[in-house]
Amino acid sequence: MDLILVLALLTPPFAAALLALVVRREPGRVAWLNALTMPVSFATAAAIAVRLAEGGAPVVVGDLWRLDALSALLAVLVSGVATLAAALGPGLDRGHRVPAGETRTFRLWANLFAFTMLVAVSTGNLGVMWVAIEATTVTSALLIPLRRTKASVDASWKYLLIGSVGIALAFTGTVLAYVDFATTGADINVALHWTSLRAAATALHPQVARLAFVFLLVGFGTKAGLAPMHMWLPDAHSEAPSPLSAMMSGVLLAVALYAIVRWKTIVDLAVGSAFSDSLLIIVGMTTAAVGSFSLLSQTHFKRLLAFSSIEHMGLACFGLALGPLGVFAALLHLSAHALAKSAAFLLSGRVLERYGSGTIAGARGLLVTAPHTAVLFAAGIFALGGLPPFGLFLSEILIVKAGWEAGHPVLTGIVLVLLLVAFGSLLVQLHRMLFGAAAPGVVRGERATVSVVLLAIPVMLLVWLGVSMPPQLQSLLNHAVLVVRP
Amino acid sequence: MDATFSRLTMTAASAMLLLALVVLWRRHVSAYITAFRTQSVVLAFVGGVVAWYGHVPELFFVSVVILILKGWIVPWVLSGMETRRHSARELHPLVNTETSLLVCGALAVAAYEISRPLAEVMNLATRGGLPVALALIFVSLFIVVSRREAIAQIVGFLMLENGIALLALLGAYGVPLVVEMGVFLDVLLGVLVMQAVVYHIYETSAD
Repeated sequence: MDLILVLALLTPPFAAALLALVVRREPGRVAWLNALTMPVSFATAAAIAVRLAEGGAPVVVGDLWRLDALSALLAVLVSGVATLAAALGPGLDRGHRVPAGETRTFRLWANLFAFTMLVAVSTGNLGVMWVAIEATTVTSALLIPLRRTKASVDASWKYLLIGSVGIALAFTGTVLAYVDFATTGADINVALHWTSLRAAATALHPQVARLAFVFLLVGFGTKAGLAPMHMWLPDAHSEAPSPLSAMMSGVLLAVALYAIVRWKTIVDLAVGSAFSDSLLIIVGMTTAAVGSFSLLSQTHFKRLLAFSSIEHMGLACFGLALGPLGVFAALLHLSAHALAKSAAFLLSGRVLERYGSGTIAGARGLLVTAPHTAVLFAAGIFALGGLPPFGLFLSEILIVKAGWEAGHPVLTGIVLVLLLVAFGSLLVQLHRMLFGAAAPGVVRGERATVSVVLLAIPVMLLVWLGVSMPPQLQSLLNHAVLVVRP
Repeated sequence: MDATFSRLTMTAASAMLLLALVVLWRRHVSAYITAFRTQSVVLAFVGGVVAWYGHVPELFFVSVVILILKGWIVPWVLSGMETRRHSARELHPLVNTETSLLVCGALAVAAYEISRPLAEVMNLATRGGLPVALALIFVSLFIVVSRREAIAQIVGFLMLENGIALLALLGAYGVPLVVEMGVFLDVLLGVLVMQAVVYHIYETSAD
């Protein structure tokens, strides 16, 4: 049974990538098949999540695969955003034709990218998790310059190099932890398995475990866009084709934070949580500050969204250091952010298409030219600004509450200020886009197509999250917190 | 027996670090590639030595893969890129040679300091080489950040990978085979994708 679940989760993106590679003609059909089969992956992830939310046993297959509540949450997010991206990616919209080569390239790499992220969260071997996260860089980098502009090629190179070097440092940390484990005399064949690592964690040498965690935090932190290793992120996320931006911003950052959380759990058992908590607080606060203060000066709307991702990763990182309530809030924050940011990036693709320009000043009068897109985009920005009734409002309140209860009143005050700065900046920027007179020549009016309906789904889910959290999700998050803080 | 083992690995590890330093004063890409190729061969040798003295037969297999992948395929891909670059002109690092060597000296000292707790908890014959492996990691990082040309940055990145592989070999006689194979796959794919992106860079900057 568990084997079927893992297969159903991982096969759809992998098969679609293979198909895109093999089938040279008619990539449109591959795209259709991709859009129709990705929901299988999502439904499987949801089924696994429900099982774990009800207190069921982790999904375990052999030595390699193991999904507990934390993995299941991430699997739902990754497969959900990948499904949305598959449905809205190039090759499906008859009204908007793209070159066949572009469709094929997109379907190949975007599906491999989704596949590597799903492998990263469903494996129980932290070495394989590293391999999969390294592979996410490789599979996404070639897709950034889908249209070969100089800016996109440069962004791709920056991302590839900084990402690879960062992730190599994470591997150094993994190897250090493994070396430490090997010296405890345990069976090294299972050394990087989550369960055996956790069982042996208390026997690890504190000094080595601390050293390993620093490498792991810097390494995976680079992929998660944590300051000061975030320089690649605004370029890569803004130059990528919008469905890829949605996946990179919405879930790849969360997957990288997930890796940090896994290792934090091990290291906390070895040296106590004070060490990793203080590091995460410093890095998280810096990242949130960099993100929120950069918002107002942005001139391109996709860069605006990218800096907003940096801000939110900082907040989540801060939350992870604040005890069980903080971890709960951070995981909820990552979930809500995945919804809001993927919707916003996909909508920004529509804006870009309509105006032919990525500048905020050039996209004036959005409410008149594309009313549906405008309303949904505004909802997305409101959500990212932390306004009720959206889910991010709830998670931000919980992070603040956790910070207060964990005895960090000053830091919590600073976080509140950062939240206000981010909210104000986003609102000013949104106002610049929604109103005013559109440049002559821009097409006015918009039909309510299937794409619009699909894009309304994450926005409605955000409202649902914020108004009344589904009990299953609450239970899943509680179980995930237990994984991190046993 | 242990003394020979320890001396062999220590000498080889030091040779790998020296080969990374070569990059700091040479100005031609071909020299970079040769240094990397030689370094990879030495890494494969370390793998063989650890396999023999440490009684880990699967490391022989890993060494052969290192030899084929990093000693042959990857340098070949890099040479192809150098040909495509159309110019044998000198590389211009952001930091001059004298400063580079001084910085790397400091990095090596830092590596010794940082790896002290590691050497204290270990009783393997190979532990003496751990600071050298860490120094190689730091020096490679410095190569990546201090070079401007993409191809030199790739060589730095690959040497970083070699440093981590050395750390794993000396510290724990290699990581589990499934992880090792995954790493090889990532290196191969990574280099190919880097090559593709660098070709895009050449194309777009030619316009």
